[in-house]
Amino acid sequence: MSDQDQEKSGGGGLIRLTGETGETPPGSSAEMSPRLLFNPPIDIYEIETGLVLYADLPGVTAEDLDLQVQDKKLTLFGRVSTECGKDLVPIHQEYRTGDFLRSFILSDDVDHERIQARLTNGVLRIELPRAEQSKPRRIEVAPG
Amino acid sequence: MPVFRWRETWSPLPDLEREVDRLLEGVRLHMQGIRSSRSFPQLNLLEDAESFVVTAELPGHEAKDIEVTIVSGYLSIRGTRRPPAEAEAESYRRRERFHGPWQRKVQLPDRILEDQLRADYVAGILRVTLPKAPSGQPRQITVNEGS
Repeated sequence: MSDQDQEKSGGGGLIRLTGETGETPPGSSAEMSPRLLFNPPIDIYEIETGLVLYADLPGVTAEDLDLQVQDKKLTLFGRVSTECGKDLVPIHQEYRTGDFLRSFILSDDVDHERIQARLTNGVLRIELPRAEQSKPRRIEVAPG
Repeated sequence: MPVFRWRETWSPLPDLEREVDRLLEGVRLHMQGIRSSRSFPQLNLLEDAESFVVTAELPGHEAKDIEVTIVSGYLSIRGTRRPPAEAEAESYRRRERFHGPWQRKVQLPDRILEDQLRADYVAGILRVTLPKAPSGQPRQITVNEGS
């Protein structure tokens, strides 16, 4: 797709989106019945203190969301319950139910310790604060 | 605004989309943005013996901001998804999520009990349950002999 370049520059240098294929969700094993895996749509915008990331994860509740940072890689994995009710038979289907997985590479400018996340009505909001040291710091010059 | 009919024999587009989805799924290729480029929200229609159920992927709303109405055999849902107030247009680095007003209409396949409609909104999924109207008793009509 043509947004490969945009992919690399997304997030103004603080964050980089990783490859979209070939990833396996945490805790998945080959014996499990294959589940669909989707790339959730995201928004990233800048605020004064850093970046804010939003992801659409319909059907995911806080207990079923796994968010982790490891070696600068932020991975979100949301598990969606596929049972939709007793004897319901689909008549018309526009969307399919599956899990959500997406990962991002954080730059050193993101303060990993202060990352905060909140999941409300199927939307995940992650705040990625810029590390203190990347703010301009004035260095006192002592007279020699 | 998207209007579709159930059980219509001529529906090449959904068939094609389903086929493409199946192919992509077959090679485990999950294309970027493929879910966000379609109409918002995506709907499913299901049924069991007693009711029809319409589900919609509607993340990021408040239940009170989703309007569900039934008018002459159509279920209509509408609302608006607003971007966060703190986000300025020029501060976006990436924009894939849908924002703005939306509306979907669904023609119901059968008669339903309109006053017993129920809508639930959980974890960004809207679920509207529409109990089927009991099919009318066959009524015998006496044929009068002409005099």
